[in-house]
Formats: sequence, structure tokens, C-alpha cells
Amino acid sequence: MFNILVVETTGKYGSAAVITDDGRVFCASSETEMNHLRDIITISDEALRAAGITKRDLTHIAASRGPGSFTGIRIGVTTARTMAQMLGLPCIGISSLESLAQGALETAVLSGALYIASVINARRHQTYAGVWKVCFTSGSSEHTVIPVLEERQYMIEELLGKLTDPAVTGGGKVFFTGDGIDAYREIIEEAFDEKGLSDQLILADKEIRYQSAEPAARIAYRMASLGSCVSYEELMPEYMRLSEAEQRLREGTLSDKIRKAGRI
Amino acid sequence: MKDKKHLTLGIETSCDETAVSVVADGREILSNVISTQIDIHTQFGGVVPEIASRRHLENINDCISRALSEAGVSAEDIDLVGVTYGPGLVGALLIGVAAAKSIAYAWDIPLVGVNHMHGHIAANYLEHHDLEPPFMSLVVSGGHTNIVNVPDYNRCEKIGGTRDDAAGEAFDKVARVIGLGYPGGPKVDKAAREGNRDAIAFKRVWLEPGSYDFSFSGLKTQALNYLNTERQAGREINVNDVAASFQEAVVEVIAEKAVCAAEEYGQKRIVMAGGVASNTRLRELISEKAAARGIDVLRPSPVLCTDNGAMIASAAYYAYKAGERSGYDLDAVPALEF
Repeated sequence: MFNILVVETTGKYGSAAVITDDGRVFCASSETEMNHLRDIITISDEALRAAGITKRDLTHIAASRGPGSFTGIRIGVTTARTMAQMLGLPCIGISSLESLAQGALETAVLSGALYIASVINARRHQTYAGVWKVCFTSGSSEHTVIPVLEERQYMIEELLGKLTDPAVTGGGKVFFTGDGIDAYREIIEEAFDEKGLSDQLILADKEIRYQSAEPAARIAYRMASLGSCVSYEELMPEYMRLSEAEQRLREGTLSDKIRKAGRI
Repeated sequence: MKDKKHLTLGIETSCDETAVSVVADGREILSNVISTQIDIHTQFGGVVPEIASRRHLENINDCISRALSEAGVSAEDIDLVGVTYGPGLVGALLIGVAAAKSIAYAWDIPLVGVNHMHGHIAANYLEHHDLEPPFMSLVVSGGHTNIVNVPDYNRCEKIGGTRDDAAGEAFDKVARVIGLGYPGGPKVDKAAREGNRDAIAFKRVWLEPGSYDFSFSGLKTQALNYLNTERQAGREINVNDVAASFQEAVVEVIAEKAVCAAEEYGQKRIVMAGGVASNTRLRELISEKAAARGIDVLRPSPVLCTDNGAMIASAAYYAYKAGERSGYDLDAVPALEF
């Protein structure tokens, strides 16, 4: 029997959800942008109350572990780790990109898309992205996705090159989701236009475009069923990027910046 | 509660130390776990906020476990959670705050957000079990140089502070330039012991009469200019002499102002706090000056001068006793005022 608390704070608006054994999801969201730290306990508690259970009834704590806002990732993962440590529960780590794809799945299927591209804005033409193929399971109303392009950092142009390549998508429709749409809408539309593939491109509406604990809860439930749990110590953030200082250290371009900035 | 003692778990993550402690009745340290990141930041020449935040996340839960087990208590024995919510690096603070809230929520126990600087002063309650306010406090750390009047446990009246660089920052800068490296404070302190503090006439910046404020940026510039001139003239620089002379110029002003403040406010005790409070020469000088005017000087041992969870637990305990509580909406406040 599962009662899972899921926190998702990698995007602009934080949310928490509880998925109960019967597969029902109870979700509560922050109403203020980037208010994750202030709201996370309150929305978690709201979700628990909506589900009619207490924290003592929980069986797992799950967190969206990124990619996304570094600060947001840390708030969600630290909360999940500490809650699990205190309550003696296992953890489940969820990819924010996979969760975005899960959140878009139903709409993508209805609009005839074969692929879902989750794209999170990482600034300066960078993205964190992953691409999934929709699998239609015969005799089941629930569709699933399988990964086609690995989740990592992509330059938006590189990602679009792959998504407009018939060898990758076989001419199937691509459903875009994530706040990468807000940042790179024109670039995305142009890339599909140029290859004469405008009719193969679908952009998610704002209602389903952003990270939410609800689809994350569905993934968490599946993972719990498969036993894909970790201890609280093993629940780690997925930043998908080194800190700037570490990148510079690696490239050997650190010294100047440090001397000039003093305490960076 | 355990053995009829009230237990506070204190969490501190405002800079580069992940620290968790269990304190009984606000005074008795049962455990004091400090996981320092100095080694990681040394290669960057200073604290890198993003890296500090990442390390805090990786360390915090282990520190909590160790603090509980070293104290010989379990999480359900804890009666109160205290946590630093500012001032400090926002990304670092929020790890402690998120963890503290989760603990308070999981066990339905009260939460108290603590001002880091109040925590430094409270470190003295852990060291000197008979100490009670009122007293004058001198809080000197990497980011702060403050003279604070403490009339009771929960009031801290800042009567003087730095107008530019904190003493610790000035130490860090000069240490870097003379090749002593990071962290500057302890390294300058050590080098100064081998040097002549009268070798170079660095200025004492007193500001206007009656002011308890400080300014160290001009002194820092003077030190940098001195080094440049000497290097350009091809003269060899005696690192120990520079350290000793520079340190003297900083600590003389701090010591004098702290003693004057105690006198003016009629306080018979000066309570030192913060990382720079463990500076050998500052301790020496302030003791001399205070003794001459019949004032006692108290200071915590070095481990309690640096950032630690015990001081936060103690400050949280006294705030709690005065009825203070933080809600689950407690936020990190990087520029929190005294």
C-alpha cells in the first residue's frame, strides 16, 4: 500500500502532491512565484489534508530532483531528504523533464504527437532537455513513454537539429513542453518552418507547460511499484550542470575572475 | 525531553560550515557537529556560494544524524528546532531552513529562526554557565564587526558597526595579497606572532569622536599600496612584519572602541564573539585595556567562536522561553539586520 508525498520546486511555482493507494492525486500549489522555501511545508500539509491522511500514514517521500532552478531543486530535495530521514521512509527521485513529459502525455496523444520534447530554459541558448516517444499500449487506456534522446544540456539549436531530423523522429509530430517554449518559441518555430515541418510542431498550452507535482506523483507511484526507491542519503539533486566556478576551474579560466572579484 | 532536560537542535548553514548541535536547557552542549568546507573553497580563493549550497545539501542530513547520535538522543526527544535564517549566503541559509522546517513538521515541535549574530553572542552562554545579560558584546567575524549592547537575552542593540569592510574581510584580502592564502584571519594571526607590529606605520582609523563604527577599507588600501611600492622598488617584503603591523592597526581600534563602549554604557563585562574573537592579539589587547578600567572580558573557546549549531540552539532556546516562534513560512533573509 502506497501513500506518497511528492514535492516539485524546480520551476517557478512550487507544488506538492499526495498520491494514495487507489491512484488518486491530491495536489496543492504555491500562488507566488519562486516562493518555494516559504510555502513548501504548507503546501505539503495541504496535500496531505486533501488526501485525508497524516504524515504518519506516508510510505514514501518523493522529490523532483531537477533539472531546473538550482535553488528550487535544493529546497525540494533537502525537504524530502529530511522529512524521509525523520519519518524513517524511503525516497524516490524524479526527473523534472520526465515529469513534464508525463504531464503533457494525455494532450500530446490527443493531438496525434509521436514525440514529447521537454525543454527547460537554461539561458543563453542553453536548455535542459529530454525527448520521449509515445507508446500506445493496446488494450490499455494508459500510454507510456520511452526515452529517445537522453536528458542532458543541449544548445537549443542542437536539440532542434535532432528533432527536425527524419532519422530521429521519422516525420512524426513533436509535442514541446516546458518553459523552454517561453524562451525559445521563435527559434523553435523557425527551425520547423525551415524544414517545411510546421505542421509537425505542437507547443504545449500554459496549463500543462510547467513543472507540477501531479504528474510527478504518477511517476513516483510507478517507481514505488517497481521498487525504484533510494535511501534519503541517496536522494541527490540533478543540476545537470557544474557550478560556474567548477567549470572555470576545469577549463583553467578561474584565476582572473577570482583575483578581481575577491570573495566570489 | 530526556532526563528532564529540554533539548534544542540547532542548525547553522549561513556560510561554509554545515553545523548541527544538540543543547540541553540552552546551556549544556550534548553534541556539536561541524562539517567544514574550507578545503573545497581554498582552491577558489574564497567561498563560492553555489558550491557552498551544494555541499550543505550533501552534508546536512549526515550532520543531523551525527548530532543526535553523539548526543545519545533520538529525533523524537528533541523539543525545539533552532535555525540560522540570516544573515548569510541565501543558497546556504536555505538548506538549514528547509531541513529545520522539515524536522519541526515531522515531529510537531516548535521552530525558532535565529539571527546568526545573536547566535555568536549566545555562544558565550555555553562556555560561561553563570553568564547572564546585561553586558557589552563585541562580535567580530568574517562578515561582521559590531559592538552590541545586550540588556537581556533577547535584545541586541547594535551601537557600532563597520561602514565598509568587516575585519575578517580585511584580513582575508591582505592575507591573499601577501601570499598567506585563505582563510586569512588565522593565517595572519599566526604570521603576526613572528613579526614586528611596529615595523610599518599603518594608520588607525578612529572616525569621528564618540563613534563606535569602524572602517577598514582605507587601511586595506594602504596595505596594498605599501606592498606595491615595496615590490616596485625591488625591496623584499617581510610577510610576518606586514601581518603583524596590519593586524595591530585593526585590532587596536577594535579593542579600544569595545572598552570605551562598555565604559560609556556602564557594563562591567565585555563578551567577545565571532571567528575573529579567537585572534590572539585582539584577545591580548582587549584584556589589557579592559583590566586597566576594571572591566572583565569573556570569550568562548575557539570552537565556539567559529560558526556552530550549538550557539544557534542556545539563542533559539532563550527566544523560545520568551515566547518567540517561527511559522512554517520562515524564509532565509541574507541581509538580516542585527
